[in-house]
Amino acid sequence: MIRLENIAKCYPAANGGPDGHVVLRDVSLAVAPGELLCVLGPSGCGKSTLLNLVAGFIRPTSGRVLFAGREVAAPGPDRGVVFQDPTLLPWLTVRRNVEFGLRAAGVPAERRRGLAAEAVRLVGLDGFEDAYPHVLSGGMRQRAALARVLVLRPEALLMDEPFGALDANSRERLQDELLGIWQAHRRTVLFVTHHVEEAAYLADRVVLLGPPAAGIRDEMTVELPRPRDRDGDALRRVIRQLRACLDGMPCCLCR
Amino acid sequence: MNMFERTRRRAAPVLVAAGLAAGAWYAVAFLVGWARGVAFPTPHETAAELARLLAGRTLSGHLIYRHVGASLARWAAGFGIAAAAGTAYGLLAGWWRGLERATAPLVHAAQTVPGLAWIHAALLLFGIGERATVFMIAAAAFPPVAVSVLGGVKRVDATYVRAARMMGARGPTLLLRVLLPGALPHVLSGLRVGLGNGWRVVVAAEMIVGTGTGLGYSIIQARWTLDYTSGFACVAIICLVGLAVERCVFAPLERRTVERWHMPRAA
Repeated sequence: MIRLENIAKCYPAANGGPDGHVVLRDVSLAVAPGELLCVLGPSGCGKSTLLNLVAGFIRPTSGRVLFAGREVAAPGPDRGVVFQDPTLLPWLTVRRNVEFGLRAAGVPAERRRGLAAEAVRLVGLDGFEDAYPHVLSGGMRQRAALARVLVLRPEALLMDEPFGALDANSRERLQDELLGIWQAHRRTVLFVTHHVEEAAYLADRVVLLGPPAAGIRDEMTVELPRPRDRDGDALRRVIRQLRACLDGMPCCLCR
Repeated sequence: MNMFERTRRRAAPVLVAAGLAAGAWYAVAFLVGWARGVAFPTPHETAAELARLLAGRTLSGHLIYRHVGASLARWAAGFGIAAAAGTAYGLLAGWWRGLERATAPLVHAAQTVPGLAWIHAALLLFGIGERATVFMIAAAAFPPVAVSVLGGVKRVDATYVRAARMMGARGPTLLLRVLLPGALPHVLSGLRVGLGNGWRVVVAAEMIVGTGTGLGYSIIQARWTLDYTSGFACVAIICLVGLAVERCVFAPLERRTVERWHMPRAA
């Protein structure tokens, strides 16, 4: 479904000097259809850059990014992105935010309304359709951000630390709801996080991304059946393993 | 705090300021009368003249309402053109760097030209009359609108644009449904400045281009007939119109949009 082939991404040096800043070097990765893949790594390792490449927000310096067999040239509604900040449009109500992509696609008003209502219900925001984003809590905004991409029925969900700014309880609730939606609709999910427990709890497979020089350091398939017990020994073991891998890397890398 | 008390608290500083201004006006009127021996209209004389005008006294052969209406119509036409053109330009130039690089210096240069200085161009293009006035108003109101909208568009959070493109928005959708509302605080502040510029030019242009009606025309006619008091009354009307537009157009517009959405205001 998603395929990265020998990706490198460098940003030009801030002072215009010859050596640019290398964020990703020689990264290859494939995500199977319907798979929930977590990319785990310390901050500054290029996780978000990797996701932005798949989203089509940025282009690789070298290598190819393929989505459904075609090279990614621009962002599009087939790859729904949920950002760390909900980035709902503040001048639109929840309903209008959710309808935004449908409207851009020219879906007639009545059908738009029906689809949006369905998506809003799916993320548990019914009753808040006419609220503006600023009155919602962080968790509710993130639900709305999820609804606005789900309504477009994307082939893949690209999630960039979507629950990173939420309190622990909201985070766990939203993880469970994401899993519920994912299991019901079986979309491919590329989920970026620095949170070890989150990766272990959610993923079919976890890819550990190290600093640019190291690239992908390790990869682990999480065989545990769902629903997983957050406090169970099996999950704890996975978490320990992942943490051991992470501890082998330098932390707090400069960006 | 009850309604009455709240109103009183808000009104008190305004009343004090107005009282001080009127006091200063009286002082100037008195000093001018004493030092130069000419009658300088006082606040109450101006108010009385204003009342007479509103009650139906004609000025340069027309009712005051006719003059106000004529000025407002010119203003609306000129400002309408400037607002539409300035917003369109700001959106396009904010989106397309090439256009900005090529044209922004010209717009900044145009901003330094006083509205009335367009008079030669206006007369050559349109001859004496209505259209020349409207052209000057538009020329004076366009640059501030264009510059503010352009600046506002460039400050729209890039993640909104990313999110919108991810949801499939392209071209006009992106411009009108993301960049325009995203830049709205700046758009409004640009329109405010443009409106003020335009209003000033209406009055000045009417003084020069013999329009036969309008507040500016009335002021300059009053000057030739030494009817200073009605000149003052016309200035008072100009102030009141400006105040009314702010209170009845911009303030409600801001409450309904930017404030309702909790967007940060433009500086």
